[in-house]
Order: sequence, then structure tokens, then C-alpha cells
Amino acid sequence: MSLAATSRRGRRAPKPSTVLATIAVVAVSAVVLLPIAIIVLTAFKPVAEVNAFPPSLFPHEWTLDNLRQVTSDLPFLRLTANSFVFAGGVTAFALTFDSLAAYALARMDFTGRRALLIVIIATLMIPFQATLIPLYQLVADLGWVNSYAGLIAPRAADAFGIFFLRQFFLALPRDVDAAARIDGASEFRVFRSIVLPNAVPALLTLGLFTFVNNWNDLLWPLVFTTEAEMGTITSGLTLLTGPSGIVPHGVMMAGSLLAILPLVIAFLFIQRRFIENIATTGLK
Amino acid sequence: MSASHPPVRRYRPPAPLGGRRHASGGLARRSAGAFAFLAPALIVIGLFVIWPMVSALRLSFTDASGFGREEWVGLENYVTVFTDPDILNAVVNTVQYTVLFTPAAVLAALGLALLLVNPHLPFRSFFRTALFVPFVISFAVAAFAWSYLIDPQVGLLNHWLGGLGIRMGNVLQDPTLAMPAVAFVAVWKLFGFYFVIFLAGLQDIPSSLYEAARVDGAGPWSRFRHVTLPLLSNTMAFVLVFAMIAALQAFDQIYVMTGGGPYGHTQTVVMEIYESGFRKLEVGFASALSYVLLAATLILSLVQFVFFGRREKDLSS
Amino acid sequence: MTRMRTLLGAGAAALALTATGCSGGGDADGPVELTFWHGYTEADGDVLEEIVEEFNASHEDITIKTEVKTWAGIDDTLLTALSAQEGPDLVAMPSERLPVYASRGAFVPLDEFYEGDDAAANLVPGAVDMVEVEGEKYGVPAGFVPLAVYYDTALFAEAGVEEFPQTWEQWVEVAERLTVDENGDGTPERYGVVLPDHATVANGLWPTLFYGNGGDVVEDGRAVIDSPENAATLEFWRSAIEDGAISPTGVDGVGADELFGGGKAAMTVGGPWMASIAAENGIDYAIAPIPAGPEAQAASAIGISMATTVDTGDAEREAAQEFFSFFLDEANAVKWSLGSGWPPLRTDIPAEEVASNPVVASLTEMADLGRPLLPGVVNSVDVLTAVDELTQQALAGGDVDALLAQAQADIEAALE
Repeated sequence: MSLAATSRRGRRAPKPSTVLATIAVVAVSAVVLLPIAIIVLTAFKPVAEVNAFPPSLFPHEWTLDNLRQVTSDLPFLRLTANSFVFAGGVTAFALTFDSLAAYALARMDFTGRRALLIVIIATLMIPFQATLIPLYQLVADLGWVNSYAGLIAPRAADAFGIFFLRQFFLALPRDVDAAARIDGASEFRVFRSIVLPNAVPALLTLGLFTFVNNWNDLLWPLVFTTEAEMGTITSGLTLLTGPSGIVPHGVMMAGSLLAILPLVIAFLFIQRRFIENIATTGLK
Repeated sequence: MSASHPPVRRYRPPAPLGGRRHASGGLARRSAGAFAFLAPALIVIGLFVIWPMVSALRLSFTDASGFGREEWVGLENYVTVFTDPDILNAVVNTVQYTVLFTPAAVLAALGLALLLVNPHLPFRSFFRTALFVPFVISFAVAAFAWSYLIDPQVGLLNHWLGGLGIRMGNVLQDPTLAMPAVAFVAVWKLFGFYFVIFLAGLQDIPSSLYEAARVDGAGPWSRFRHVTLPLLSNTMAFVLVFAMIAALQAFDQIYVMTGGGPYGHTQTVVMEIYESGFRKLEVGFASALSYVLLAATLILSLVQFVFFGRREKDLSS
Repeated sequence: MTRMRTLLGAGAAALALTATGCSGGGDADGPVELTFWHGYTEADGDVLEEIVEEFNASHEDITIKTEVKTWAGIDDTLLTALSAQEGPDLVAMPSERLPVYASRGAFVPLDEFYEGDDAAANLVPGAVDMVEVEGEKYGVPAGFVPLAVYYDTALFAEAGVEEFPQTWEQWVEVAERLTVDENGDGTPERYGVVLPDHATVANGLWPTLFYGNGGDVVEDGRAVIDSPENAATLEFWRSAIEDGAISPTGVDGVGADELFGGGKAAMTVGGPWMASIAAENGIDYAIAPIPAGPEAQAASAIGISMATTVDTGDAEREAAQEFFSFFLDEANAVKWSLGSGWPPLRTDIPAEEVASNPVVASLTEMADLGRPLLPGVVNSVDVLTAVDELTQQALAGGDVDALLAQAQADIEAALE
């Protein structure tokens, strides 16, 4: 029996190192959560309080005006729906395409495998601002401007996902699929029935990562959709800026709150499976 | 989840970054099969990422503005990249930012992962979630919230610290404090992701190895050096490379918080790319600068992979 | 290159069975449709919509469809849209951005329009200067107003200030009286004035102060920023701010507007939107011209210009010119002025017609003070960055002479 288990059973005082660790973690969490608190609380503050001095964390007077203004200034439901379609569509395609490609790069042998891997990773190293214009020209040539197809297609596979899943597949044990291959299963069978089910934690991780990043993406939806109605909630928030460039803090926080709410809810929903199961992501 | 060990399975050594080698034979047949798996992703990436990259490369040799006339200018843009003092300033700033961000983010993530892998820590689930939440916020919103917190007139942090006797002043307009401030916001937002990855890596190290080390008389620091670190090296490599790539491309929060100021002290390379392209309509030059950044990032990443690859070889011997 | 793109596009389109979305290409038959991007929101936006609707109603063969974005949003998205020939037909933008696009061939020259239209002959000259690039006119003014001081009349009354300052010395003196530091900690709770030291409103504050002492930034295409007059100006204001703590430092234009709206400053330099900000925050305000410097009284102007993009066919360009005529005719000029709060763009509008809007009336009175900012300068981005770096460092206590020399070098490089 390890020492750890013994001390759990008894009602001993916690070890000093644990106390210190707890204090450290609490302090860090407070710093980490402070801006979140600000976003949530400022969303409910009236204008006078937002710019008041001395400032206070909690509103003295709670108001729904900011939320009301966000929903009236922006076609809010439409934008949120667009965000779901965009982020959800990208995630669905990316998980599929990335896992197929990652499997090939991890488990299959072919000429030029090394070179291909380097080319794929290199695509992560150029800032999006540089490829934006040629990409937009291409999508416009395809006739996809202001359409969901055009919004989703360029993200339907991505280098990070491929690399991430490849690392995972490399670490999975090969005994079972070796046996299956001897039994005559096709490579795709092996992939679908044996490897994928074991990859659920990694897929969940990548899925969350992809969904969050695309939901929060600003530049691509902003530039790609020339009609206000086709934008996402993230690009829509930029419209809350006043004519002189002043960003009304309360309204912007309210908008941000509404924008991240679906993400936080989704995250909390799957966080148990996600964080616990990332233990077997295989990035060791 | 209780503090149970991961399901028992035969221990496998860490996956080498280069991948394992297969027995040869039937290469052509296998290549064809592999192609089927790769096709969808390669079509998307080839068409929507690589093709625009090639386009951008071509643009880098012109004085294009994105529309209208363009003329071939050869290497002129690249010469400007290496001689313009504003670009040099941006490069220095980007290096400074990377040096501030990468160790801070990685150490914070690793440190907290080490703290949270302790099964006796109360409310582990809550902390794990809390530390990850910033990842879910977009950079722009995070930057906006932090700017508000440190606003010299109405910032809550200024007010609280002022009560303790610490005068923060105007952080974002202070030439020495602005860069650390924007780097901090990035650390705040991104460390949760690295933290979760480290946590996974740590949880996969079998306690039997720690037991063996303890029996041999190794103290906590020694156990960390000889058990934890080596077995984390692949994870470390992964996190370091991606953290570095993220740092070299820093843009969003800088754009929102300082706009590159005060007087150019937080102007990074990607800020220059954005300004040249979108404000001055010098798309050719912006493309050239992007390619220089790409080359630098590629070289630095390869160096890191080689470094960690060598450490792996040392370990397996 | 275009051939390769078309080939690739054709090949990909053959694969793309789900090509949804239609491109807004011009049709030969039917009414001409113009898309118009602009950044006028709230009250201004409503009046513009009305004018557009009236135009649509009275012109059967032309329909204008507006797309409201923010000014910054237009800047971010116009380039990519034009690059794929997906741009709007008409676009409005801050005046100092127009030369950048015009010099790259984004806009259609409008000299023909100016020769033919009689409204064009009566436009405010400074406004027309803003749309001229390398001798040709590429746009039509949509707004032109000098920066002015917006001040809190209640605070003025409280401090017993009866007359608005007319000179710089008086201005500083009044600002000192209005600065309140009750707890004596060196940080006033309320400042007399807010003078941003970078990214000022319409980038116009410091040019205005330079004009006041007889200096300038760019004259006839040459950098003239390094001058003894400008050095004196910077020294004057640096010591005024340092000695009297009359203004916070490190603030930008947007921050200044916010401070005024929050009641933390008694005076600010801004544009007509300050009226609605003051109203929203319950501040009784009045507008005054920027006080005269030792040499002159002048104010940099805030400008908005409209242009026709090259993503248009002949029919669309003609239709656009008809809209410009309509927009600038006397009735609409008055309507736009009263509705937006900006002075009329025509010089032949009698003052009584705009008297019903007090903001417009005050601003029209001082309209002569307005000077266009960097007219025709293509690389205004780098020039303005140089000015910002100069002013921010000068006010932070830097060596004024060295900073001016640096700014001179930077601006000369930018003007090449």
C-alpha cells in the first residue's frame, strides 16, 4: 500500500506541502477568474457605474439594459446560429478528415511521409493575414462568397489537428490491430473499428479545441461575410463600437457574455469526460 | 473521479516524435491505400491553405496592393524587410515577447499541473475547470477585459493596488510595462491548454517508477529530474513548439490593448504585416515579411525537434 | 496569374456541386443596383437611410442598398472585397484613408462629375481638397467639420468662468481653475481638459495646435514638422500639462471622449458626436472654437468622403454620380446637415436654414477655421504614426529637438 492511501484513510491534518499547494492554486485561480468575473458583472452595470470612480467589482444597481441593447443592435439569434453552423461544421469535417490523415501518417508507410509531415506543419507557421487575400479570391472564384460552404471549407482540415491526432495514434498499442490485420481486415476496418473507438478522448479534446477556436475566430468571418446577417457572433460584436470609436464597456461585456455563454455551457457539460480522459491522450 | 490509476495496461515508452519505422515491402500498394486516407485533408489543405501560400509567395516579389496593377520587383521587398528600422524594431519586440511568453506559459502550466496531480488537493475538479476557462474566451474579449481592469482612471486593479500603496499608473502606455502586460494576457489565456496537456502527461507516468526511485533514496527534486522530466520530454517538446509558434504570431491582444504602442514598443512582426497589408495596401511587402517569419519559425521549430529528438535517444540508451 | 486562377477556379467549381450563394454581378436589364458601405450608425445612419430611400423612390431605375459597418470594419474588409472584385459600388470612409486607396486604383476618378454638376461648384473648398489625389478628384465629401472644444457648462458655471477662453494662455488658465485634486495625491479627480497625446480624434489635435503657432506637418508635399514654431508649441503644452496637471497623459482620442462623458474632464476636443455622448451622460454642454494660438486660430477638420469603386460598370458609375448629385443638392445638403449634426457641405446655404439644430449652428459659425488634414498624402499612415510618436514622447518629457528631427526624417521617408 502506498503512503498516499494510508494518509487518506486516517483523519490526519493535511501535509504542509498540500496546504501550500492549495493556497498557491487558490491564488492563481483568483487571478485567472478575475477577468471572467469582470465580464459577467460589468454586463449588468449601468453606464454610470461602468465609468465610475472609485470602481467596484459588483454592481450597486443591476440592469438588463446592456443585454437589451446588444440584442436590439445586432441580429443576435441569427449571428449565434451562424456561429453554431460555422464552428460546428468545421469541427465535424475537421475531426473526420484530420483523423483519417493522422492515421495514415502514423500507421501507414508510404513514400514522402516525412516531407509531407513537414509541409503540413509548415502551414501553421504563416500568419493568416498573409494568406487571407489569395484565399478570399479563391473562394470568391468558386462563387461561395457569403455562403456557409465558403465559410467552412477552408477550415475543414487543419495541420494542428492532424499533428495532434498523429501523436496520439503513434502511442496506441498495436497488438489488437495487428491481430485484426492478420485476420484479413482492411486498413479502413482497422481504423474505424479498432483505432477510432480508442481515440475518443483525443477526439473530444481536438473537437473542443477546434470548436472554441473557430467560434472565437474574428478575422475570417469578418472579412468573408460582407452581409451583416451572415456574420458570426464574434464578428458581430465589432459592430457594437460607437461612431467615434468609443466601445461602450457595459454593452460590449454583455455582448461578450452572450457570445461565450454557449461555449462555457458546452464546456462544462463535457468537461468531466474531457479533462479526465485527456489522461490517455498519448502525448507522453 | 477518484484518484485511481489509469486502467492497467502494459507500459509503453513515449511515442517518439519521428514515428516508428515499419517493415518494408509492398510500399507502392501501401502508398495507394495511404493516399485514400490522406485525400480529403490534403485536398482541403492543398486548395485552401497551400495554394494561397504559394500565391502569397508570388505576391512577395511584386508591389501588389491586392487589387489593380502590380509590378514585379524581385527581391526588393525582402531587402526592405532586412533593412527597414521599423521592421527591425518589430523583430526585436517579437523576440522579446516570445522570451517573455513562452517560458512563463510553459512553467506556469507545468507548475500547476504538478500541483494538481496531487490527489490530496481539495476541489481538484473545480480548479482544473477554472484554470482552463480562459482558453474559452476569445483574445479580443480577454484583451478588452484586462484593459478595463488596468485602466488608469477606472481600473479595478489600479484601485485595489492603490489601496495597498502600489501605484500602477498607465501600464499600457508605459514603454517598459506595456510588453510584459500584453505577454501576460496571452499567458493568462493560453496556459490552461498547455496545463491540461501536461496534466495528461503526468498522469500517465506510472507510480511504480516513482516508488522505485523513492526506494533508491531519491528526494522530490531528484525524482522530478530523473523520472518526471525525461518521461515528459515529448509532451514538453510539443508544448514548447506550439507555444513558440503562438508567440511568434502574436497579434490579437496587442491590436486591442496597445495598437503597437507606446511609440512602437509593442509592435510585433504580425502587427507590421497587418498594417502594411491592410492599412497601407502594400500587400507585396506584407507577403515578403510573412515568408521571412515563416522561415524563422520553421528553423526554430526544427531546432527544437532535433534537440528533443537527441534527448530521447539519450534516454532510450 | 489571373488565367491560372480562373483555370483553378473552373476546375474546382466543377468539383463543387454545392456552390450556393450568388455573386452580386451587375445585370444588363432591370434597375441598376448599387451597394453602399458606410459607417454611419444611430441618428446619423437613420438620416442617411432616409435620404437613400428618397433617392430610390424618386429614381425608378436605380436602387441603392446600404450595408452599415463600423469605419474600422470598412477598412478591414474593403481590401479583401476589392481583391476579388466583390467590393461595394459606393463606399464612405474617413477622408485621410481615401488617398491610400485612390493611389492604388481602387476608386473611379470623378473629374467629369465635378465639371458637370453645379452642386460641386459650391462645396466647401477644404472638403474638396481631401478628395484630390495627384491632381485628380476621386471622391465626394460626405462630411467636413473642424475640431472644436466641447465643454461642461455646469462645471464652468460652478467655477465662475463666464467667458470661454480665446487664447492658449487663457485656455490653460481656465483649465487650471477647473482641475480639482481634493485629496492632494497628485492625481486630480477631475481634469480641466483632456489632451490626448496619440491617436487623437481624427488625428487632428496636434496638427491643430501646430497651426496655432504657425507650424505645420506637411506643406506642398514636403515635411515641415521640424520647425522652431512646432518646438515652441510642444514645449508650451508639455509644461502646461506638467505644471498644472490640467490633463491626464498617455490618453488617446477615444479615451478622451470617454473621460469627458464620464464627467472626469471639463473640456475635450472632439467632433459632433460629442453632443450625443454628452446628452447620454446627462452633461450640459456647449461648443466653442479651439482657442487661438500666438499666430493663428485654426482647427484640423474631421472629414468623411464617399467614392465609387472600380468594381463597377458604366451603368453603375452613372447611377453613382446621380446619387452624388442628389445627395449634394440644396435640400438634401440641409437635411443631411441638420440630421447628422455636421455643418452643410455647401457654402451657399444661408445660416438660418440650419439654425434649428444648435450643434450645427455653432459648428457652421466656426467652419472657416477648418483645415483639411494631409490632403492628397498617400502614405498618411506613416506620417500620422510619426506625429503620434513625436507628441507622445514629447509630452512624456523627451528631448523635443531630437524628437522633431526624428519625426522630420520619418515623414520625409514616408512622403517618398
